[in-house]
Amino acid sequence: MVQPASPPIEEGVIDVLKNVSRRPIAPTLASDLVADLGFDSLQVLEVVAELEDRFDISIPLNDVPTTRTVGQVVAQVAALVAQRSNN
Amino acid sequence: MPIVRTLPEALADAARTDAGYCFVSGNVERWRAYADIRSAALGVARALTAAGLRRGDLVAILLADAEPFLTTLLGASIAGTTPASMYPPATGDARDLQLTVAILAASQARAVVTTRACAPAFEAFRDRCPSLDLVLCREDLDAPASEPLAMPAPGDVAFVQFTSGSTSSPKGVTLTHANLSANIEAFRGPSGVASGPDDVAVSWLPLNHDMGLVGMALGALYVARPCVLLQPQAFVKRPAEWLHAISRHRGTISFAPNFAYDLCVRRVKDVSDLDLSSWRVAGCGAEPIHPPTLAAFAEKFAPAGFRDTSFLPCYGLAEHVLAATFPPRGRRPRTETLSADDLTGRRLAVPHRGDGPSVSLVSCGSALPGHEIRIVGDNGQPLGDRCVGEIVLAGPSVMLSYYKQAALTAETVRGGWLYTGDLGYLSGGELFVCGRAKDLIIVHGRKYHPQDLEWAVDGLAGVRRGRVVAFGSVEHGRADRVVIVVEPNGTVAPGLLADTIRRRISDLFALYVDEVALVPSGTVGRTTSGKVQRSATKARYERGELGGTA
Repeated sequence: MVQPASPPIEEGVIDVLKNVSRRPIAPTLASDLVADLGFDSLQVLEVVAELEDRFDISIPLNDVPTTRTVGQVVAQVAALVAQRSNN
Repeated sequence: MPIVRTLPEALADAARTDAGYCFVSGNVERWRAYADIRSAALGVARALTAAGLRRGDLVAILLADAEPFLTTLLGASIAGTTPASMYPPATGDARDLQLTVAILAASQARAVVTTRACAPAFEAFRDRCPSLDLVLCREDLDAPASEPLAMPAPGDVAFVQFTSGSTSSPKGVTLTHANLSANIEAFRGPSGVASGPDDVAVSWLPLNHDMGLVGMALGALYVARPCVLLQPQAFVKRPAEWLHAISRHRGTISFAPNFAYDLCVRRVKDVSDLDLSSWRVAGCGAEPIHPPTLAAFAEKFAPAGFRDTSFLPCYGLAEHVLAATFPPRGRRPRTETLSADDLTGRRLAVPHRGDGPSVSLVSCGSALPGHEIRIVGDNGQPLGDRCVGEIVLAGPSVMLSYYKQAALTAETVRGGWLYTGDLGYLSGGELFVCGRAKDLIIVHGRKYHPQDLEWAVDGLAGVRRGRVVAFGSVEHGRADRVVIVVEPNGTVAPGLLADTIRRRISDLFALYVDEVALVPSGTVGRTTSGKVQRSATKARYERGELGGTA
């Protein structure tokens, strides 16, 4: 699951987070989406939709509740992007 | 007098038609006729009885997916047990379960029906729920159908709906079959949505919510019309899915809270492939209605055939099964722009002229047939037109009780009148809702009890016991700002304490605390009965008198 994420993915994820948030935020890999960045459950799913569009991936809804930090999001997106390229 | 039908009777009637539910999951749509739903429910009823459950036992349903939820609810009802819907935990993770376990323990649930994935987690909490005899997996309840020996009577409990949270004394709204039947008959009738043979309901609302369960899924069942059910998360992720489902199925009736219309305005990018011309009832309720949201929605989706005369802003609450008031159909939302100062200061609805802040409110219409509405003052005396007071309701939809909470029930239902805790005024028989008398916090259509947030924070290290106040600071047309006021005991650094509080509330409720106010000892007052002075603390916060925020 945890693998080195490429910098563009990390940048892309942070860019999406900043776009979806309605307040100025400075996410780091350790930031918790809800407790630190102030995303509510609606915005978390908006992030999911935006990530799917940007990276052309499909994020299973079942995985969403267990994804809590920016680092976990980056790792998950990286894994799904790698999976897509391998197919 | 309308005919009273129990849930199993309505199901049996619907099973004689071709209609049914359509469960949408991603790109997959599965139609299940009401006859199939009934067979599955009869199987569940038999399995529950075989497991040893008896009449009146509380069966907690902790299932997120619509089909297993509905067949379990109906099966438990057929078996004569008392089905209870609760907000299902997001994961099987122990911290997600704490709240649910507290409700299970306080309500003395005898059984839990959940998924195989979540069952082990409940097993682990058994020692905290002494009355809990059975943790059942829905996957194991598919017994062959057989006709039941006895059926519930109209006065029996149809189900209990636990509102989100309410941990120390859970508020389980207890409804009889007669309650349920009366409310559905009233809102399906000519003064409500006027359901007809061509109606198709489309809903993404969660089924542990009164509007999703009663308004959409059971409403459609009682009138034996098709009902398309989307996953709530799928809607929130891509709001266009809701509108696409209405287009595709020629949906005619769909209800949602204000925030859903707002999400569509903000996030649906392409209107060109939508056809919303079939949508004749676009219900809006469950949270304060913001007129500019409805106007923006109507404007954006007019090219797709949406008509603003389809809007049906309404008022209701779970304690009244669901619906209380409806405006006439086919009318644009009726709004009034009022002087905000007169509304809060003099408690009078005076049209706004010239200077000063204003507030726009939407008419939620008149009481349903066979039901009554009044506005009362602090002493319970009825108030005249355009005077602001508490909304009270009477009639066959008033709940039986809060489950096993006699004192709380007696406080809420007095002389046949349900005291809603909501503030409003009547004008020409039409209701305008303008606030809340009780301390509920409303974020995106979900109601949170401040007591639950206080309970969650009270046990944390660094917090003075019993010196926690939570409230929602209302911002018109937006989700409440969630504020927690705490007296620290000095053992934990302020920054860390605020962070811990945010994480705790986020873990338990998936709710963001907008502000944690750390205040000096003695700031949080107590009433003579030992309760925290929530409204006094809130008022001081809103006047800017509480410093030291994080």
